[in-house]
Amino acid sequence: MTRCGRGRVISGNPELVAEDVSFAYLGATTAALRHIELPVSAGEVLLITGVSGCGKSTLALVLSGLIPSRVQGELRGRVMFDGKPLSGLKPHEASQLVGMVFQNPNLQLINQTVQSEVAFGPENLALPHAEIVSRVNWCLDVTGMAGMRKSATVTLSGGQKQRTAIAATLAMRPRILVLDEPLSDLDPVGAQEVLATLQRLARHEGTAVVIIEHRVDEVAPWADRVVLMDGGRVLLDQPPKVAWADSAVWARTGVGVPDVVQLAQALPDAFGGAIPLSVEEAAGQLADSWLVPALAQAATARAGAAALEGGNGVINGQPGSATPVLSWEAISVDFGTVRAVNDVTLAIGEGESVAMIGANGSGKSTLTGLAVGMGTPSAGQVFFRGHPVQPGKVFEHAAQVALLLQAADEMLFEETVIAELRFGTKFRALPPDPVLDVQGAIDFFGFTGLEQVSPWELSQGGRQRLALGALLVGAPGVLVLDEPTTGQDAEHMRSFLRLLAAVRNRTGLTVLAVTHDIRGLASRAERIVLLGDGQVRMDGPTSRVLARTDELKRWGVLSPPLARLQVQLLGHCDDVLLTVGEMTAAAGAYRDAHAPAAGRP
Amino acid sequence: MSNILVRTILAYLLIFGTPMILPVMFIKLVGLGGLRDLVTYEARDTPLHKLDPRLKVLYPIAMGVLSIVLNWDFMLIVFGLTVLPWFWLRPSRSKVRVLMVMVIGPALAGFWSQGLYYLPPPPIHYIYQFPWTISWMGSPGITGYGMVFGLQQSARVLVTVSTSMLILISTDVGDFTWAFERFRMPPQVGFALTAALRFLPDMISRTTLVLRAVELRGYDMSRPRWFQVRLWPDYVKRLSRCIVIITVPLLVGSLRGTATMAMVADARGFGVNRRRGSLQEHPTTKYDIGGYVILVLLVGGAIVLNHFRIGARPY
Repeated sequence: MTRCGRGRVISGNPELVAEDVSFAYLGATTAALRHIELPVSAGEVLLITGVSGCGKSTLALVLSGLIPSRVQGELRGRVMFDGKPLSGLKPHEASQLVGMVFQNPNLQLINQTVQSEVAFGPENLALPHAEIVSRVNWCLDVTGMAGMRKSATVTLSGGQKQRTAIAATLAMRPRILVLDEPLSDLDPVGAQEVLATLQRLARHEGTAVVIIEHRVDEVAPWADRVVLMDGGRVLLDQPPKVAWADSAVWARTGVGVPDVVQLAQALPDAFGGAIPLSVEEAAGQLADSWLVPALAQAATARAGAAALEGGNGVINGQPGSATPVLSWEAISVDFGTVRAVNDVTLAIGEGESVAMIGANGSGKSTLTGLAVGMGTPSAGQVFFRGHPVQPGKVFEHAAQVALLLQAADEMLFEETVIAELRFGTKFRALPPDPVLDVQGAIDFFGFTGLEQVSPWELSQGGRQRLALGALLVGAPGVLVLDEPTTGQDAEHMRSFLRLLAAVRNRTGLTVLAVTHDIRGLASRAERIVLLGDGQVRMDGPTSRVLARTDELKRWGVLSPPLARLQVQLLGHCDDVLLTVGEMTAAAGAYRDAHAPAAGRP
Repeated sequence: MSNILVRTILAYLLIFGTPMILPVMFIKLVGLGGLRDLVTYEARDTPLHKLDPRLKVLYPIAMGVLSIVLNWDFMLIVFGLTVLPWFWLRPSRSKVRVLMVMVIGPALAGFWSQGLYYLPPPPIHYIYQFPWTISWMGSPGITGYGMVFGLQQSARVLVTVSTSMLILISTDVGDFTWAFERFRMPPQVGFALTAALRFLPDMISRTTLVLRAVELRGYDMSRPRWFQVRLWPDYVKRLSRCIVIITVPLLVGSLRGTATMAMVADARGFGVNRRRGSLQEHPTTKYDIGGYVILVLLVGGAIVLNHFRIGARPY
């Protein structure tokens, strides 16, 4: 079997083959996997994607041998490794052939230090001391964790935990590594580091890497093959350029397509019919294209408009609003000897939609938590509509500032949907002018007919909707969202963004979103605040902040691919277009004005 | 009449004051976050960290035995000996704060409860004798004899607590597992300890998160001031209800996590061999030899002294 990925040829027989695999969980009425045929060859990086519930994670468990040995259900077909069935092996035997890295690194780090975590597997195999040392050193080197070998696992960042989990799995010396959403808790720069690590493993060590991920934009440049799943079936299994050539199948399943691919499909004449997978590739293909002057013209027009409005809109560390609904004044927060937030002054205006971005540990959640009285500042004061927010008085301030936690499931406590929506009103009288009452929330969030259903019977997106609806029953002045789109597929993300827009339209609420999702949530905000090392590093209109790609990268944030593409093509611009639609509109305007030059008939 | 009333009020304050101070002291100075710190390993490069893990496992057991068999005078020496290694370890400030509360709390509780209920042989000299109005509590008054006895008993307990904490903070759990194996104990014992110590901080973090979530959803967890006596019963009621509310999400989350952890342990080959390998080699150093010698001398000395009824605990 031979497959091509970005010009590289991967040859040889596949090491692992799923042959007509179907699986149904114990007690389930429908199969999670249906007739899966999937080969995996040494040294290739395979991206498996699909909407939530399409069977990706189940496939990972099957490929790693944990189904059927540790998960009950009915398995048909077989998974063969080098011609031998994997299902006959015990978990520890299978894990030396196929290693599995689970989604949540917190649940798979059993030991207290990085090196003891990595050594755990080889120690269990009773390997000689020298072999254990050798494996631990190699795994820590290859994952870039050698410098932190003695660190306690609880002190690691999300990216470091993920790399430790990968190192611990590699210590079993698997020939194939399966990773279930390895990027979900990582900031964009951390995600690129992990992906680079995985590619190094594939290229230098010959390890086959299977990545299950929603964030296709970030994985696409690293993948040799893309597998699209839907309803437990493999819909498509191709090298990336071929896989994304047919946009209809992706649109039908609701799975995201990389922005540069969408742009190439929207403007095929500019790209010469080629499909780029990365910003660099797209920039190369567009270097001599008519799209460059088109983008330059659009940038000049926007700069002119900005000059008329006054200033370039980017400010650094200054209050952003004259009449703030929420403001942080000279706030510092210390955790022991570590200063998490350092002298931050920031204001959010009434009705604004603001995204707060920054690398893991930059102080975003600490700062937003203070708005509801969670945590105590070491210095400074937080104000809500001019009144001080008292540390520790969460119950009082939660009525004014609704905070949706990233773990929305942890915010559900009742047995039925309606009881969940009424939960807050049991302890606090509903104000005379609520943003939503209980019935309004049922109608607005689509729970009509589901009032008596248990929250746990809803989908993940449904539970998040319910938690959001329950928070809005009352009269909050501000809605604060902590990583609301983490781990969600493109369709759920789009639904959530639509819902958020509808909430704002209906209620006029001020929204502050803490997010790593620069391409989705942050790009749709009116204003972006960038935090770095506990300080405000940039604060301004979204399209202008995202144009500062180098500065963003310095603070651990990657601009969306389209923004980076424009900056690469134009060298420098103060303002970027954020969507494929905006870019095609700019191209259309240019072509209308320069029809002969653009080669239009 | 007024005299008996005042004496009764004073008696109630004396009896209930300390039990009420202890939880307040714990919440204010330790809290759930502090409890998480208490069992977290602190990676350092001290000789204590490098000691033979077997010696570390034996140390709290041996000191615990000494605290039981020796009389109070000798117990003071043992207590002093268990405090000394803390200066060697120099734990972080947050840990010291938590440890102080965990030491002072039981000491205060023992001191006070024995003062109330441990009665010397007659004639009894009370520091404060309770009036008949509080006789239903079963304590005739506070005695200095009982307080000293309580302090002695607390010190005995604290010897084991202090040595165990010292070892928990300075030993990676992987080393515990290694030590248990060398003692021919099943690997599951080491793994159970590993899992407990690793996931207890996570469990505490999750509890903190869910408690915050319940407040964000509008549940009032605000605590009345100490003098708002009429509000306290309602606070206790709300607190009790909250425990019921948060139990389900905590259980659901924990069970999910346990399933993943079990699969990870299986995949990493846990339990496939009775003997495990080890990343760490623990060659016996001069510090280990010194430690073993001290331990043997202490235990051996205590047994010999006990035999000759010197420093022996009276029964």
